[in-house]
Amino acid sequence: MNDTDLAASFAIFAAKQRRADEVTPDHILLGCLRAISRFGIATLGPWSLDLEALGVDWVRQPDGLRPKVAYSAEAVELFDRAARIAKSARESGVGVNHLLAAFATEEGGLMGELKRAHGITSASWRAAVARLGQGETNGTNSGAESKRDRAGSEARSAREYLTPEEAAEALGIHVQTMRAYIRSGRLPAFRLAGERAIRLLRSDLEKVLEPLQGEKKEE
Amino acid sequence: MSFFVVKRDLPGITPEALQSAGIRAKSCCAEMTGEGQPVRWVRSFYLPETAQTHCYFEAASKSAVEEANQRARIPFTQIVEVVEMTPDMV
Repeated sequence: MNDTDLAASFAIFAAKQRRADEVTPDHILLGCLRAISRFGIATLGPWSLDLEALGVDWVRQPDGLRPKVAYSAEAVELFDRAARIAKSARESGVGVNHLLAAFATEEGGLMGELKRAHGITSASWRAAVARLGQGETNGTNSGAESKRDRAGSEARSAREYLTPEEAAEALGIHVQTMRAYIRSGRLPAFRLAGERAIRLLRSDLEKVLEPLQGEKKEE
Repeated sequence: MSFFVVKRDLPGITPEALQSAGIRAKSCCAEMTGEGQPVRWVRSFYLPETAQTHCYFEAASKSAVEEANQRARIPFTQIVEVVEMTPDMV
């Protein structure tokens, strides 16, 4: 599941939780923010947007709850706009950054509220989203790590779902050790529906961490 | 599980709109699968000469495929079950 699929899944979940008839652009914005968030905070440029303040239970995972919802016509327009933005950027796939950029001109709904509450303009939003896609440039890049590598690293560190290889890297252990944790059940893992691919929740990684008690002095 | 082809007439459709529809189809199939009604979008073919699209889905029923397309808000003209045949099978 890529970040766009994740954002769409969260958007549908947000619509279901709110008992909405349709998935609207508001739900898609919430889905995008959740997809880029960490610990319930979506950081975009100078703004730290608290998902809890937006009514999102950021710990709860999509669970296939009914009722059924369909995309609204406005949501379809938003996806179309994001695809056009991706094309204009000469990028083959539609990412969360393209979806977020598609909200830049929105004045109504949740985006309008965020604009008014945080002083966000179309230009400042697009600038923040652009940095999200490319990584911050702070002039300290020694050349050992390319911008693309850093952008990929930032994107991975913001994701809630990890591959076994990424999870192993996050804990600084060998991937075979990670797979052993999964096999033994010490770490919960999920299989993508109909696929062989396995994903782990970032927040679950702490389950294999045991606090050191320190060596007890002999009495 | 059976295979179904979803036929669409999409005159004037742009590649970007097709991409947008693909994202919506994927997410709705994943959602329905999560709900316990498995639907999988297998692949699609766009026929530029006729502006038609043939999209192949795998599901337990035609109604599941129909629902996935309705949820994704992708228009269609017909959904029919197909029998798969590959060169390896003959």
